[in-house]
Amino acid sequence: MHSLTLSAAFLALSSAFLLYGLSYDTRQIEARVHGQERLAEKARSDIAILKAERAHLARPDRIEPLARAQGLAPLGEQQIAGGSGSSAIVTGSTAR
Amino acid sequence: MRAKSRPRARVREISAGRALQSGEARSQRVRVSVVILGAGLCFAAVAGQLARLAATGGTELVASLSEPMATSFARPEIVDRNGRLLATDIEMPSLFADPSLILSRDDVVEKLATVLPGFDEAETRRLLADRSRRFTWLRRGLSPQLAQSVHNLGLPGLSFRDELKRAYPLERLARHVLGAVNIDNRGIAGIERYIDDQVGVETVHAATRSEGVAVRLTVDIGVQHSLEDELKLAMGRYDAKGAAGLVMDISSGAMLASASLPGLDPAKPSEAQDPARLDRVQGGSYELGSVWKTITVALAFESGKSVDTIVDVTQPLTAGRFAITDTHPAGRPLTIAEIFVHSSNVGAGLLALDAGASRQKQFLEKLGLWSQMRTEAGVVAAPQLPDQLERAEQITIAYGHGIAVAPIQFAAAVAAILNGGERVQPTYIARLDGDATPTRERVVNLETSKAVRDLFRRNVTDPHGTGRRAEVAGYRVGGKTGTAEMPGRGGYLEKAVISSFVAAFPMDAPKYLVLVSLFEPKATDETQGEITSGRNAAPTAGRVISRIAPLLGVLPEGAAAAPPG
Repeated sequence: MHSLTLSAAFLALSSAFLLYGLSYDTRQIEARVHGQERLAEKARSDIAILKAERAHLARPDRIEPLARAQGLAPLGEQQIAGGSGSSAIVTGSTAR
Repeated sequence: MRAKSRPRARVREISAGRALQSGEARSQRVRVSVVILGAGLCFAAVAGQLARLAATGGTELVASLSEPMATSFARPEIVDRNGRLLATDIEMPSLFADPSLILSRDDVVEKLATVLPGFDEAETRRLLADRSRRFTWLRRGLSPQLAQSVHNLGLPGLSFRDELKRAYPLERLARHVLGAVNIDNRGIAGIERYIDDQVGVETVHAATRSEGVAVRLTVDIGVQHSLEDELKLAMGRYDAKGAAGLVMDISSGAMLASASLPGLDPAKPSEAQDPARLDRVQGGSYELGSVWKTITVALAFESGKSVDTIVDVTQPLTAGRFAITDTHPAGRPLTIAEIFVHSSNVGAGLLALDAGASRQKQFLEKLGLWSQMRTEAGVVAAPQLPDQLERAEQITIAYGHGIAVAPIQFAAAVAAILNGGERVQPTYIARLDGDATPTRERVVNLETSKAVRDLFRRNVTDPHGTGRRAEVAGYRVGGKTGTAEMPGRGGYLEKAVISSFVAAFPMDAPKYLVLVSLFEPKATDETQGEITSGRNAAPTAGRVISRIAPLLGVLPEGAAAAPPG
């Protein structure tokens, strides 16, 4: 009976330590998860800003004059071959 | 006697011993029970704690009283039909104050005024006066540089909170369609409002971006830019006060572009209150003039007439005290095709009278021109309709006066006539591949549609056609002009017109509809002193088509010669 009592007490203490350890680990993991989440959110925010910046830099009213300055222009009638003709597409710039 | 008493004593001793043993055993049992009970309680406590942890999961949200709990809204991105970004949420710092922690209100106000442009000192003093408050916004949506400047002041009681702010990286492009959000990032107009009402936004207390799927529009950035650019150039070229235009998929009603100038600057929300910057595509209703003859000839074809039906237009039409004449009278009877190509008001009026008021009204109802329309970008301006459809109204409506509709509503009606006869609902939201195709109501016969297509093309190819300046080599453009005098005090103003051109291409199998309207264009040398649509709106539409057709993958007619060599 005495040994049963000791065993039970030992088991109870062990469980308490185990539980404390689990709780401690859980808090650490939670802190790590929150840290990762903050990093992910920061990365998402940075990506959003980069995407917005890219869209801003690639806006048509900025790109079009640059493209035209390079001699680039939309596809023209003379650049498309009909079904019966050659399928070659005439390339080359038309500098203005 | 003695011999008898000894066994009794022995029995007493044994009884006493047993009683003692029994007491010890009871005591031991009690002790064991206590230990077991104690251990049981410990295990129960452990089990209870485990169960609580399992049930509650993460940590509870704890917010201090001084922490601002302002609500904001996380919105999904808006992209064009090719996935290019039109609107997104970005984090920006907002400045707030805890008045109870501020040491010197005057010091705070004076120092903030040195770094924040447009800082309202009186308003800030008022906000900071109530020291019982623990939170008040001072400036929301600061740039990082400004936030750093305020931070460098080192003022106690001021702090920052990151918030989501809507950003439009393409600036003025498609601003009327996209709409606007308020200071809390809540949609108040246009597609932004639609997102709040139909798609859903997420309520957030911090700068947490929405994880919702981006809202994909039917708008094409390239087409939108080309349209806006050409309208802007046309405003300068013809000294017009405003311009509006749209590009619509003729079969589905998908809006590829919609522009109204002068436009809106997203950095200046107050511009939206300026009547001159109204969205003229769907925010206003206008008499559009002779482009309405498209409707009138379709009505005539539906009434059994053909392109070769001859109508006597030699005499002016009278309606009460008014006499309706043609600008350039032919002096001979005209076929319906000629009425369309020469844009004869008398001929159109006669066709409407021949169809009858009842049929005319029924036809306009079928085309959706007699009731208010709505798109995802908001409610379309209600049509201004005549109280009754008497002879005068019948005639004037036939050539686009006496009835005013929003350009988008008119464009939808013309698209229905040209696309084979099926009614379309203009839409800005791209349908997903799995979405069911809505059943379309037939509004005109296929033969009528084909006949009107032929007239559209003829009006551009005919040397006398009013739309000949809209021709773009290879793209088979068709269209109809319309020059409507604007109403003013005491009647119509001769010199102030809305000049419109409704076009479609390629006319052998129309895919896209283009509508261009110029508001109050002036006569210039280029227009040879005229302000008619054929001189300004038609060439503008042609320029728009020449730019957007390659972007839309429309192949020009005829093959190129093989490359030399």
